[in-house]
Amino acid sequence: MTLTLVHLLPELLGTYGDRGNVDIASWRLTQRGIAHEVLTIHVGDVIPTNADLYFLGGGEDDAQIAAVEILAKNQVTEKIIKQGGHFFAVCAGFQLLGESFPASGERIISGLGILPIKTVAGSPRSVGELLATATIPIAMLTGFENHSGQTHFLQDLQPLGRIEKGIGNSPESKVDGVVTEQILATYMHGPAFARNPELADWVLSRKVGALTKLDAPIFQQLHDERVATVS
Amino acid sequence: MLPLRPIIALAGLAGWLSRVSRQGSGVMVSGRLLLKIAPHAVRTLSRDKKVILVSGTNGKTTTTSLIYHALASENKVATNFTGANLFAGIAETLGRSRNATLVVLEVDEMVMPWAIDETKPRLIVLLNLGRDQLDRLSEVRQVAQKWKTALTRIPPYCVVLADADDPFVTWAAKDWVNVIWFTSGAIGHIDASTCPECGIILDWSKDQSTYSCTCGFKKPQPEWIMRGNTLTGPERKEIVVRTAIPGAAAMSNAGRAIVAASIFKVDGEKAAEAIASVSSVDGRFGKLTIGATTFRLLLSKNPASWRETLTTSALGPKNVLLVVNANTQDGKDTSWLWDVDFSPLQGRNVIVTGERKLDLSVRLTVNEIPHQIADTEAKAATIFGASEADIIASYTAFHRLSKLVKRR
Ligand SMILES: [Zn+2]
Repeated sequence: MTLTLVHLLPELLGTYGDRGNVDIASWRLTQRGIAHEVLTIHVGDVIPTNADLYFLGGGEDDAQIAAVEILAKNQVTEKIIKQGGHFFAVCAGFQLLGESFPASGERIISGLGILPIKTVAGSPRSVGELLATATIPIAMLTGFENHSGQTHFLQDLQPLGRIEKGIGNSPESKVDGVVTEQILATYMHGPAFARNPELADWVLSRKVGALTKLDAPIFQQLHDERVATVS
Repeated sequence: MLPLRPIIALAGLAGWLSRVSRQGSGVMVSGRLLLKIAPHAVRTLSRDKKVILVSGTNGKTTTTSLIYHALASENKVATNFTGANLFAGIAETLGRSRNATLVVLEVDEMVMPWAIDETKPRLIVLLNLGRDQLDRLSEVRQVAQKWKTALTRIPPYCVVLADADDPFVTWAAKDWVNVIWFTSGAIGHIDASTCPECGIILDWSKDQSTYSCTCGFKKPQPEWIMRGNTLTGPERKEIVVRTAIPGAAAMSNAGRAIVAASIFKVDGEKAAEAIASVSSVDGRFGKLTIGATTFRLLLSKNPASWRETLTTSALGPKNVLLVVNANTQDGKDTSWLWDVDFSPLQGRNVIVTGERKLDLSVRLTVNEIPHQIADTEAKAATIFGASEADIIASYTAFHRLSKLVKRR
């Protein structure tokens, strides 16, 4: 069976080098000889709903709204979830999976509603290095965040990390991102998989099962250097 | 208000003191002091001058320099040579340019509204807007909005020379009466997938050369067209543009400089002649020696400039050293590395260094570009040995290395 990774709407959700997470996931699979394909879905393309792992990146206001309109059409997102697809979502991609998020001009935009979260406008902007202890069995998370929205859980949810440094979902929450059965979301871009190889492998292993260790020490070096520099 | 002449003398002294005491460039200190004593010094100093403002994400230093050379053939011109493009640098330039009738100023994108209000410019040159230092400049459209608002306050005699290829520039400038549109045939735009006017998805033509939207926003008809090295103006007159600076971006910036000079009645052929011999601007493409290696210095700051530089450098020596830092002036967020396709480096002898060499190494690893990591430029030079190499450096590294560039 060939694993299918889908990069959704890069021209709308690609502000923070988000293509990188897809490239790294693909590279780590290739190194292990795991057969897979990467589909890049542009504006106007038909979105397949039976793929394995979908990537949503960061984007500016208007792009984020345009992306929601596309993903809401024909219940695409619900169909993906129903058919067992997983999401890895970053920043704007994280926000738009929720009930609502803010946009310029004090607008409140309805999200896709597949995560019980709500994002509200916040000030000042959360910009800078982020460190968080993972709630899943992987090493300390390191990333860079840059967002003005503050995300709140509307139900009891498992965050991805507990903040050691930085802001994450909101100043009060002291957590970053969320983990559900099929979704992993975070405010860490950078991209997250470059600095957190264990996070990349954890997301992939949920689809392909246990992974062999990869001989690519440069990823570990970058992770350790970032953690040491920021803490 | 204090009389201005003593203020300038005082500020000049402070600048000199800073230079001899080796704290920074001197330019910054003296301008800062000037603005502290007389907050509206720039307004006063530019009153009897024709001011030209140049801004955009990429190419502003080169374009400013080329406009300066094009105008200097027939006018008394001043400019901020050192690329000091913030408040203090602009004040300092005007402070020491009392004899000039024309002043060409490179201006940081975010400083543009202030510069427009204070200098009452005759000409504004808007190059492009793209992702750059996302932690500082935030969203591209927000910068375009700042420009657009500032342009509503410019005096009626002011001309705006704007790049029609860039939707953000077009959107910022389109409501101004005195706008001259320029095209160099650039295609597509990484950050312009939605319409700056109404927010829906922007309709790009198949070849990515034009854009339009159902709201009526569209690429304007350019008056000046640059194709290859030929510049065609409104009267169909063709000017062959020559530049000693390598790369396509330099060629289109040279074209813009000729158009800018024509607004001040400098003949096109004469302007073309004046800029043809400009080979190195503020250290760009300058030569320096480290160990036994002769390096050519190139600047790259953001995805658009990396793409341009990698293409230009690919025609250069086989050895190439990449230096990436992430200080405030570089942008502290290195995520842009993943927006650059480093494939043009394939087959070259690549070494990476700089404060963020590990970020770069991971990026190159995934991009399948074989490379080595060196702790310093000197270590890289020992690997290259007695040969030629390019250094492609991010802003702070470039600035440090440019001081080593040999003056001819
Ligand atoms: Zn529109």
